[in-house]
Amino acid sequence: MTRNHGILLVDDNKSDVELARRAFQRAHPTGWIAVARDGEEALDYLFATGAHTGRDSTIVPEVVLLDLKLPKLDGHQVLRRMRADERTKRIPVVVLSSSAERQDVLTSYELGANSFVRKPVDFTDFLDLARLLAAYWLVANEPVDGG
Amino acid sequence: MTHTVLIVDDSLTVRMDLAEAFEVAGFRPLLCGTVADARALVRREWISIAILDVLLPDGDGVELLQELKTNTKTAEAPVLMLSSEADVKDRIRGLQTGADDYVGKPYDTGSVVARARELVHARLPPSLERDAVLVVDDSPTFRDELRRALEGAGYVVFTAASGEEGLRAAATHRPTALLVDGVMPGIDGATVIRKIRLDAALRGTPCILLTASDDRGEELRALDAGADAFVRKDEDLEVVLARLGAVLRRASNESADGSALHAPKRVLVVDDSETYLQVIASVLRSDGYDVVMARSGEEALEMLAVQTVDCILLDLVMPGLSGKDTCRQIKSTPNLRDLPLIIVTSIEDRHAMIEGLTLGADDFIAKSSDLDVIKARVRAQIRRKQFEDAHRRIREELLRSQLEATEARSARQLAEARAALVESKAKMAEELERKNKELEAFSYSVSHDLRGPLRSIHGFSHLLLEDYANVLDADGRDYLLHVRAAAQRMSDIIDDLLLLSRVSRAELRRAPTDLAEIARNVAAELQNRHPDRTVELAISEGLVADADYRLMRVVFDNLIGNAWKFTAKTPEARIELGVMETERDGDGNAVFFVRDNGAGFDMTYAQKLFQPFQRLHTEEEFSGTGIGLATVQRVVDRHGGRVWAKGEVGRGATVFFTIPRDERGGSR
Repeated sequence: MTRNHGILLVDDNKSDVELARRAFQRAHPTGWIAVARDGEEALDYLFATGAHTGRDSTIVPEVVLLDLKLPKLDGHQVLRRMRADERTKRIPVVVLSSSAERQDVLTSYELGANSFVRKPVDFTDFLDLARLLAAYWLVANEPVDGG
Repeated sequence: MTHTVLIVDDSLTVRMDLAEAFEVAGFRPLLCGTVADARALVRREWISIAILDVLLPDGDGVELLQELKTNTKTAEAPVLMLSSEADVKDRIRGLQTGADDYVGKPYDTGSVVARARELVHARLPPSLERDAVLVVDDSPTFRDELRRALEGAGYVVFTAASGEEGLRAAATHRPTALLVDGVMPGIDGATVIRKIRLDAALRGTPCILLTASDDRGEELRALDAGADAFVRKDEDLEVVLARLGAVLRRASNESADGSALHAPKRVLVVDDSETYLQVIASVLRSDGYDVVMARSGEEALEMLAVQTVDCILLDLVMPGLSGKDTCRQIKSTPNLRDLPLIIVTSIEDRHAMIEGLTLGADDFIAKSSDLDVIKARVRAQIRRKQFEDAHRRIREELLRSQLEATEARSARQLAEARAALVESKAKMAEELERKNKELEAFSYSVSHDLRGPLRSIHGFSHLLLEDYANVLDADGRDYLLHVRAAAQRMSDIIDDLLLLSRVSRAELRRAPTDLAEIARNVAAELQNRHPDRTVELAISEGLVADADYRLMRVVFDNLIGNAWKFTAKTPEARIELGVMETERDGDGNAVFFVRDNGAGFDMTYAQKLFQPFQRLHTEEEFSGTGIGLATVQRVVDRHGGRVWAKGEVGRGATVFFTIPRDERGGSR
């Protein structure tokens, strides 16, 4: 199959989004990155509804980077809805959280997250992490065709 | 089992009379006319009880009594003395020698048997499952009516047409209750009840007197005689049944007290005139009293010393100790002063009467008085005494119940106080739980929300340095490096504070834990992170403690981490983990230690080591947040142990700690 090298980043923090965008551009210049600023928008993007009505829903990101603390629907609710829907249940989800509280990690895996990563404060570390994630999820990992 | 009764009396009539009565009652009588016969018999036979006459042809009954009481074979057998009323001295002697009771002659066969049965605790015939009621009434119509009503209510009913027949029936059937008509030809109802009360075996039987009239006098006489209740015949039969039920309930509730109330009344008559004694004795006996006669004041006092009575009739004029002195002595003796005492005298003057009453006598009668008056006076005094006793009992009962109520109240207050304590404890626990939750929420937002801005500060200063390095001079770039380092440091502090908070809250799960293994893992990770370092590790084997694995991991992350850090500038770095060979702490617990040969510290500041944010080195020398050892202390604390440190600047530091066994004895 053809790879689209797309990432959906779900994060409400402008600065974090900007830093992530920079980090992933540098890590994987041929990929693209879509951004949703809250849980509801993330689902709208995935199902081409609401503000994303009319989007070509056959284009499915190869990985979703999901923050947990989000306005409207939080990260766990988004994850639950994704895993309950035939169209999105197989999309890899990497939880990208500020903290690694045990309960958050547990719940994330129970709801079907594929990975849990803590956002480092040190930007150098974050650049390393972005390279690692891109290399793995956009290159090494084999997604299911059509999501 | 059959009880053997030894009857020793020189009168054949008495022997045959008693033998017959005892046989009917299920005893095996052994009869003797002389002391010698009795001695021979006792050698051959085991006896359950002995009935001894005092005056015997070849000796003295009291001496025989003494022999029986000192012979181990017979010592346990109760002894009942039989004697003519003339021998008060014998009565005293007998009771002092160990006789269990004393029955005056002429005796009532029924009460002798009953008393004997009581003394040997002979089993009564198995009681009927249903309550048996004896109805004594001379009217066949009423008898039948009552019988039908009682049988309808589930009672077994016996009937008798006269007082005499009633007493015989009572002895034969041993009813659980007696319903007796007040007015009958021959012995009347009150007398039947009084005689029942005299019978040791029957005296506890509840008695209800039935009467046709509204006569209060009859009711009084009935209650006086010992009736438990009084029912008018014209009342509904339901009332009779209700009364009967109540009386039976009461009887079963207080049979112990009741029997004392119904015990036969014993009257002591003190007079120097034999004729008068006999007259009074026969009058009182006919009324159902047990009469004891004393011929002088001295005899009376002696008698009272061994056996109590219910009423005393005291002659005022006697040779020897006078009636006045006798009265004074009785009234000044603590256990006797409450006995009703009636002064009897032929001197009919006001002076003597007043004097007698001044001495404490309860009543005063003239010898010339009608015998019925004497009877009535005795009855009245005994009744008064009974009322007083009952009153006292009630008062004691009341006092006791008040005491019990007070006790119950304090017990309740105690229980309430305890409950309040438990409740306040629960509230405190709840409060603590709530505070913990708040703290958790706080920690969560600290870890989550404080780190976000730090990421931005760090990230954007990084991007500035990268993308705009050419527009910044060296100072500008240096400042940005400071901004970035500060953000990183703040992030470290947040992480360490979170850890400190987490080790304080985490559930303690103790199990045998290999400390050496944890230390090796920590050291291996440090070596991975700093491949250029060469550190000699000396970790003892078999360092097992009753501890929480995850928390001990935090301890060694800090202790080994510190040792690693502070030996960074030491040429031949060495880190050692071990247990003190000989030294133990005050409670005998093993002392573990982590030693390094690094920078060490000034012992002056040893106290500050374990306080949060206390650092003994500058950030330039050795980085750190100053929270690590506080976290170590918190973990050791939670295990009930102690931690302390020794060091010397430039020569290394040693941290000691103990992990005592779990006191609650759960895990080892």
